[in-house]
This record gives sequence, structure tokens and C-alpha cells, in this order.
Amino acid sequence: MVAKILKKDFSRKTLITIVVFAFILLSALLVASGSNLIMALTSSLDALMETAKAPHFVQMHAGEIDQAEIERWATANNLVETQQTVEMITVDGSTLYLDDTDTAEENSVMDISFVTQNRSFDFLLDLDNRVIQLSPGEVAVPIYYMEQDDLELGDTVRISDEGFERSFRIAAFVRDAQMNPAIVHSKRFLVHADDYGALREHFAETEYLIEFLLTDPGQVDRFSQAYLSSGLPQKGTSVDRTLFKMLNGLSDGIVAGVVIVLSLLLMIIAVLCLRFTILATIEEDTKEIGVMKAIGIGKGDIRRIYLAKYVVMGVLASVAGYLASLPLNPVLSANVMLTMGQAPKGLIEYAVPIVAAGSISLMVFGSCALILRRLNRISAVEALRSRTVGASAKNLPVLKLKKSPLPNVNVFLGFRDVVQRFKLFGLLCFVFFFSAFVIIVPVHFLTTIQSPSFISYMGIGRSDIRIDLRQSEDMDQRFDRMLTTLADDPDVERFSPLVTSQFTMVGSDGAEETINIETGDFSIFPLDYVEGTAPEREDEIALSSLNASEMEKRVGDTLLLIIDGEEREMTVSGIYQDVTHGGRTAKATLPYNPETVLWQAVSLDLTSGSDLDAKVREYSEAFHPARVTDLEGYLGQTLGNTIEQLRLVTVVAIGVGLSVAVLITSLFLTMLISKDASQIAIMRSLGFSLRNIRVQYLTRALVLLGLGIVLGTVFSNTLGQRLVSALWALMGASQIRFVINPIQAYILLPLLLMLAVSITTLISMANIRETNIAEMIVE
Amino acid sequence: MTILLESRDLNKRFVLGKQNEQHVLKDVDLQIEQGEFVAVMGPSGSGKSTLLYNISGMDRMTSGSVVLDGRELSELSEEALSDVRLTEMGFVFQHIHLLNNLSIFDNIILPAYLARDGNRTKINQRAGELMEKVGIADLADNDITQASGGQLQRVGICRALINEPSIVFGDEPTGALNSKAAGGIMDLLADINRSGTTILLVTHNVKVAARTERVLFMLDGRIVAEKRLGKYDPKGNGRDSKAREEALSSWLLDMGF
Repeated sequence: MVAKILKKDFSRKTLITIVVFAFILLSALLVASGSNLIMALTSSLDALMETAKAPHFVQMHAGEIDQAEIERWATANNLVETQQTVEMITVDGSTLYLDDTDTAEENSVMDISFVTQNRSFDFLLDLDNRVIQLSPGEVAVPIYYMEQDDLELGDTVRISDEGFERSFRIAAFVRDAQMNPAIVHSKRFLVHADDYGALREHFAETEYLIEFLLTDPGQVDRFSQAYLSSGLPQKGTSVDRTLFKMLNGLSDGIVAGVVIVLSLLLMIIAVLCLRFTILATIEEDTKEIGVMKAIGIGKGDIRRIYLAKYVVMGVLASVAGYLASLPLNPVLSANVMLTMGQAPKGLIEYAVPIVAAGSISLMVFGSCALILRRLNRISAVEALRSRTVGASAKNLPVLKLKKSPLPNVNVFLGFRDVVQRFKLFGLLCFVFFFSAFVIIVPVHFLTTIQSPSFISYMGIGRSDIRIDLRQSEDMDQRFDRMLTTLADDPDVERFSPLVTSQFTMVGSDGAEETINIETGDFSIFPLDYVEGTAPEREDEIALSSLNASEMEKRVGDTLLLIIDGEEREMTVSGIYQDVTHGGRTAKATLPYNPETVLWQAVSLDLTSGSDLDAKVREYSEAFHPARVTDLEGYLGQTLGNTIEQLRLVTVVAIGVGLSVAVLITSLFLTMLISKDASQIAIMRSLGFSLRNIRVQYLTRALVLLGLGIVLGTVFSNTLGQRLVSALWALMGASQIRFVINPIQAYILLPLLLMLAVSITTLISMANIRETNIAEMIVE
Repeated sequence: MTILLESRDLNKRFVLGKQNEQHVLKDVDLQIEQGEFVAVMGPSGSGKSTLLYNISGMDRMTSGSVVLDGRELSELSEEALSDVRLTEMGFVFQHIHLLNNLSIFDNIILPAYLARDGNRTKINQRAGELMEKVGIADLADNDITQASGGQLQRVGICRALINEPSIVFGDEPTGALNSKAAGGIMDLLADINRSGTTILLVTHNVKVAARTERVLFMLDGRIVAEKRLGKYDPKGNGRDSKAREEALSSWLLDMGF
């Protein structure tokens, strides 16, 4: 009997059933895909770390080392399981040619190093997650370059520098647990030991990765402090496995998070739609329900009959959603598979998406059961007598037709109806708000991340060109020569030298720690500060937000630096955002420590009319091997991968937002027109044409859309901004301020939504033509 | 007298399912003169209401022709037909069918605002005059829930007249009213007719039909007979009403109704 009821109900309300079904399916699809992505990301990340045996702690160092001293210290430290020191030959991008081109990788933001395969841990893996073993003449290239330059196996990598020429054949692509992500500005090329020796003879510059595997990875913070207090080589950043995992998983994690949030929001809408559908159905069937009660069918049995339909729909849609997610999963997890590889799938990796999709059908069941309690309120007698159980529209003292300022009666009626039955229209308004929000937030974020001002979230003031000098023996002399040249260059409007050196500070627990501080004049290329201002006096310091959070410092607080053996109290003048160098940096105006200089940089602006590209080329030559990049190039190389991911998310979000708006508008209007059938018939009998009726419903839809867009825009610019900030806080940018393209955000996107909703409204109203006025009027 | 509304060979068939068709109106020929007050009577299922909705354009006839004031309605588009209904016709329904989200006054002026027949001040004034005429001037700002059945039917009549239509159709206009209210409505309609408005109504009530000037009898989808009663004077004496009712009843009895 239930099957008969379901079949009959489906044939009566085909469109509505299909739309609600589609909605539940979409929600289940997204939640299954999102959870699959999280599982894939988590397991692949863990597998990569395990297979590569990623170090628990790494100290980068540019300069001389005493390996014996390091080994002695490591042996004496019971937290150390294994220690190795990885030597890396630093190669300037201007000497590196990929894939037979004549264009070198100069002005790349990446620090390029050549290494051999490690012996004990920190293995560089190929795309099958095997430890790479090369022959002489072969090279393994980081995935970053594979994607950027469309490289294939068998392509050529050439190094050419002052008479030194060496070509390699690409035999593998490198999965580097430490340096995979684009936001990490170091990349390792793997070569055979023989080739490494040849390179070593020509390229004198080396850096070291002093790496440790710990007996207890949970003690990495304690170990880090111990190392930093040890006096061992520390001319560089220290990182740990937690940071590797975070950086590797960040962009895909954001995608997964967004997909899951979308799914949950869709589920809310699906539940609201179901509520609307069920209430409308109960209203239509009031008489039948009254008859059932009158003849003695219990309310539980009646509820079960109605519930059966939605349970069946929920289960089928969830199953269909899960199945539909199967072809979508490879698309979403493509980046994970490429950069981290496929981990063996256990039962839990299969189970979680199934459970997630199943939870959707449970939510459907639970919501319907709650809503169907309304059946209890219908008494047999009242239902048989009265026509409806719902509340009728209350007449409003305001908005009288006789006082209407609107010249068009139909527009007035549509607008008035929205105000009068706003509770009913609340669902549609919420959906439009949701659609607008879901579309606008990623669009704003994409605009922001592509905007030149995003550089401020990298702790760098906005300038035309940035020149970075890496550690080398004659770095100071080259730096001074550079500054002199720039000072004399008429094309330079202003420039700001910045030196980052390592200082020792006294931590909150009294132990000494190192801190990297950039020194210079920060008024030339100012940053936006989250709190406070740039340091001006020599006893002031600004902290990155991650540093400030970890040190528990706010503006006005103090910290102690040890300078020339003496403690100096520094006042925190400001907190800024910085996603580079693990998000842990600081700025001050005090003289830099010449003993511990890590890197030097110059930001500069050109005079108007100067040719930016020509100047970049000129400086690259003049200041070789310094890295010279224009702002756009810097951002693109650093955030390129994230921007691509975000573009994908934005396209999906626009698709989802539009689909939701169209689906729900269609469903809602179909049901509304059905509900309003008698009123429509009355109007038509009075002489309202179909066109008049269409104008009324179009007005309703567009008024609600307008309200939804306004609310969506407001919430996007406030709550949306906060949500995005919360995501990026993990990286060190906790207060993202959206850069808004007003034409896109306030004209194009609303127009797109208006077009979609208007077309849907007009199509949904095709049914009215079929309504026979006489049949509706005659009783 | 000028023929205002005419139907020729009007047929209406309803398709109820596969090979199941109901032929409700069969070659109906009808002529209504300008200023006439005509009632259509007949047993249930005779096609009275179907006739009303087909000649008013609210339902599409299967075949035949309906001409209103020289215009063939079957040739008009949906939009043009709606315009005719708005400007040339008025409707009074048994269950009145007011829009439940508008006040009484707004219900009355709605068709006129849509037709843009004159500026709004004039429309409001006309509505006020109509309400005064039918005795409901004090209900202007009321909701439709704040009036009796008889009062609401008067609202329906005002709404039907607001655009000064050529013809007013009534489908059992007193069907839902008690006898006193029904009498009042019929007096009102008679008065309106005496002002020159043509009225065609459907009823099964002898007292109602007795106040019209011509009664058509329908049976099995055809107009089989008619009776002329002459103009009714609402201000006349009660014996005149009684005589008309008796004459009509007798005639209907002869029809077998």
C-alpha cells in the first residue's frame, strides 16, 4: 500500500519530488566528496610523511658547520633517534634551464638547490612514492616545476654558468615532504652523487639542513628549544614536521573545508524545503487527513504513511549522492594525488564517505519526523469542515492599494505579498542569501589574493620590485654596492633596504630563544597592521600575528632581547600578518646583527613611466645572483597553486550558488502557485492576464532576491571575511580584509543571479496557463 | 433593441479520460439584448454554470461562437480576452471570491487600478459612490473578515461594477445568503439593471429568477424554453413579486423542474 501511495504521490507532484530529491542528492554528494577529500588528504599526508621518513625537526643553516659537534650533541641528547646533515648546492635560477628552452629560471622566487638522495631519512620520493635512485646524467625535478613548466619524463634540465655546462635527463619527479608546496620558497633537485660532485666543484655556495628524527615526536617543542639554546649552527629558519604537514595540506584542506561547509548549508536548505513541502502537502491533504482520523486510522499510522515517502526519498537520494561522488572524488583530490600520492585505502577511508552520505538521510528522516508532528494538531472535525489548517494571510494596515505609490498594480501586489507572507517567503529569502553568500565570498577572496595589496599578508610592504640576496660570503659587500647603485639610479623613486638577522630573546619561561628580526625603515613601504603601528624607535618591535599569539604578546607588552650581551627591553609597537617563513617573523629599527645575517632584501618603487620589465632585467644582470622580482611575479609564484585551487572553488561555488537558487526558486514557485491557485483564478476571472500574474510572481522573486543579495553581500563582507581570516589564521594572516571589485561583486554577480532567477520564475509559471479558471472558481 | 451578447452553436465537451467525454453544452444559441436582466435556470448538471463560463470567456468552448458587442471572443488571444473581462464584464460569484489579503475597498478598486480607467482619485471616488449606493460605505477600511455574507456580496457587486462593464454575470449570487440578504441583493441587482446594466445570472432559486425579466430553462446542455416576465420594480408592492414567483413556478413545473 505504501508503494502505491508513493507512486501516486510521485505522479501528482513529479517536479517537486524531483527537485527535493536533487537537493538531497547534491548535499549527500558534497558531504561524501568533502569527507573523502579529507580522508584522502589525511591518509596521503601521513603516508607521505611515513614513507619519506620526514624529519621531526630541521634547522636550516647557511654557512660553515662542524658536523662532529652536531653529532656529539645529538648523541648526548636522548630525544634524538637519528641525525643527518643534508648538504645542498645552491644554484641561481639564472643558470637553470628547463626543457630545452633558452629562458632561464631567473627571477624565480624559489631558492633552487641540488642534493643527493639521503641515506637515513628525509627521502625524496617519485610519483609512485618510491625512494628515487638515479643514474649519472639523470635528474629528479620537483613537482612544482613539473606543473609550472609542463615538464615530462625525458625532458632536459640544463645548468649553464660561466663556461660550466651540464645537462640532465628528467628521470623522475620529486615528492618532497618538506618542500612540496609553492608557498615554501625552496626546492630540491635530486642528482646522482657523481653529478653532485661535479656541481660541487663549480658552485661553491652551499646550505645545510640539519635534520633530526626524534624518539618522541611529541617533544619536538622541547627539542627545538634545546637546539636553539645549544649554540649549534642556526643561520636560517627552523621547522618541524607539524609545519610540513600543515603547509602540504593547506590548500586541499581549505577546499575540503569549503566543500563540507557548502554541503551543510545545502542540507539546511534541503530541510527547509522539506518543511515547506510537507506543510504544503499537509495543507492540501487536510480533508483527507481528517477523513483518515475520522474513520479511526491512528495518528502514528498517518504519520508513517507520510514519513515513508520522505524516508524513501532521503535514502535513495543519499545513495545516489554517494554514487555520484565517486567520479567527482578524483577531480577534487587530483592535487592530493599528485603532490602526496595515493595511500592504501583502509576500511575507514571507504566507510567515512558512506557514513557521511548516510547522515544526510538520517537528517532528512529526523527533520521530517519532527515536522510531521503537525499532523497531531489536525482534528478530524475541523479538517473536514475547514479548507486549510495553515494560517491565512493577515491584512496589513499599511500598504493599502489605494495609497500605493507604485504605478503598476501587479508590482504592488507582488511586493505587498512578500511583506504580508514573509514567514512563508522566508525560505526563498534565505536561499537567495545563501546563494549570494556562497558566490560572493570566494569571489572576494579570489580578488583579494590576486590583488597586489595581498603582499601585505606576506609581511612585505607594497612596492614595484623586490630584490632578495641570499646568504653568501661577500653578501655585505654586494649589498652595499647594490644600495649605492640604486641610490644613483634616476629611475628609482624610493627604496628601502631590509636586513633579517637572528637575535636572541628571553622567552616567557626564562629560556633563551632565537628570533628572526627584519630591520630597516618601515615607513617607506608601510604595511597594514592588525594592531598598532610599525616600530619607529630602536626600543620598539613589531611581531607577526603567529609570533605574537605564541608569545602571548599584545601591543604595549614588552619582551627582552639580548644585544651585545646585554638585555634590552623592547616594546611591542604593532602586530602584522605574515604567511612567509612559517608565519614567525618580527620587525625592528635597531641595527641588525652582522654576525647572524640570514638574508637581505630591498624593496623599491620606480618613477612613473619606467619600464618595469626592463628594470627587472637590468637589475637581474647588475645584481646577479640576487633574485629580482616584480610584485605580480612574486605573488604568482608564491601563491600560484593556491590561486588555481581557489579559482576551482570559486567556479564550483558559483555553480552551486546558481543551482541552489534555480532549484529552490523552481520548487518554491511551483508549490506557491499551486497553493495560490484559487487566488490566481479569482484574479484571472477579474481580468488579470497571464502576463499580469507573471509580473506579480516575478516581483516577489526579485524583491526576495534583492533582499537576499543585500544580506548576502553584507554578511560576505563581514562574516565571510572573518571566516576566510579564520582559515588563513593557520598560516599567519588572521585578519584578511577583502579587496572588492565593485563591478563584479555589485553589478555582474547580482545580474547573473537575477537572470537565473527570472528565467526560472518564468518557466515555473508555465503551469498557470494550464489552470482552468472556471474549474478553480466553480465549486 | 441591440443585441449585446450572442452565442451560436456553442458546444463544450469535457475529456475525462481515455474514451470518456462529457458533452455538456450542445449547440446553444443565445441572445442577450442591451439592458436585459436574464436568468438561466435548470436542474443540476444541465450546464448552466458551464454556459456562463464559456460565454464569459473564462473557459474555452469546444466549438461555436460568442460575440460580445460585435467582437468574436473565440478569436481573441488570452491577453485580449483578459482585457475584455476586465473592461467589459463584471462577475458576481456565489462565494464572492474576494482576495483575502486586501481590504474591502482595495478589493473593489483593484480591477479599475489594473484597467487604469481614469486617474486613481477618480477611481477611489467612484468606488466610494458605489459603496454608498449599495449601503456599505462604512466598511471601506475593513478586512473581508469584518463583514457579513450579505455585506460581502455587496462588495462583490461593487467590484463587478467598478469598471462600468457592458454586462454583469452572476453565478448563484445569492446562493450562500439567507433569504433576507438574498432579497436585498436581488433588489440591488434589479436597481442596477434599471440604470442600464445588462445582467445575466445563473440560479436555481425561483424567488431570485422571478426578479429578472426573462428566464431561460436549460436541460441536458440545451436551452429548451424561455419565459418573459417583464421588468421587475423593486419599489413595487409585494403582490407583484408573489405573482411573478407563482407564474414562474407554474411554468417551471410544466417544464418538469
